[in-house]
Amino acid sequence: MSKAAKAKAQIVRLLIGAGKAAPTPPVGPALGARGVKSMDFCKEFNAKTANVEVGVPIPTLITVQPDRTFTFVTKTPPVSYFLKQTTGLEKGPAKPGHETLATISLKHVYEISKIKATDDQMKHLPLESIARMIVGSARSLGIQVVP
Amino acid sequence: MSFLHVARRSPRVLVATSRSFASTSRAASQVKASADAVVKKQASQASIPKSSCPQDTVMKGLNYLKGQPQVLALADDQYPEWLWTILSPKEYPDDGPGGKADRVRRKRERQQAIKDKNFMSTQ
Repeated sequence: MSKAAKAKAQIVRLLIGAGKAAPTPPVGPALGARGVKSMDFCKEFNAKTANVEVGVPIPTLITVQPDRTFTFVTKTPPVSYFLKQTTGLEKGPAKPGHETLATISLKHVYEISKIKATDDQMKHLPLESIARMIVGSARSLGIQVVP
Repeated sequence: MSFLHVARRSPRVLVATSRSFASTSRAASQVKASADAVVKKQASQASIPKSSCPQDTVMKGLNYLKGQPQVLALADDQYPEWLWTILSPKEYPDDGPGGKADRVRRKRERQQAIKDKNFMSTQ
């Protein structure tokens, strides 16, 4: 999201439901302000996320070049989404770190860390480190991790 | 050396003469071997605590790709050993004054000292 006087590639970070791009409120103005035709992006995005279940939030990083062409990178869904799905939670706690809303097993943490390890920015990390990150995220969501 | 040899041999000889039946000495060694096996099994089971998630539990939501089968929990011993240690802070083996354990400890102390100083400045 850098704005420069000179022509520079601008980066837009969005969280879009898979296969559900195109609506005006979230995607349209964010891209339109940078001069990107939102229909083009939506078609490409939906094509790229065709193998993902509809509605799963996908973090995307869109790089808009000065000549209005764009490239985008999709990542794995957020850890909080996986944790909420596994425990059936709708919302996080009102007081993070002070409430316990649900319990999860270390086996769940292992499976989630296997999914996150396929991400580009996690590829160099050992699986143990990723698992420890997920335990920390669970704490913020009010989810207690037991063996 | 030969003296030690004799000294080592004599208790065994005494034991052999006190239990004059060959079958009992073999049974004794068998009992000892099975006791060893039980102790080893208990030790390995203690290092993997009994998981609250039994085998073949369905994990909802982790099959986020289309057509992906449900993710099931595996047996306890099919997970790597480090998984059972991640709930407690990571312990580094102590390797001298400049080693990793030292640096981690110093960093934690330094951060705590900063937090204490910042808190005291508000009092």
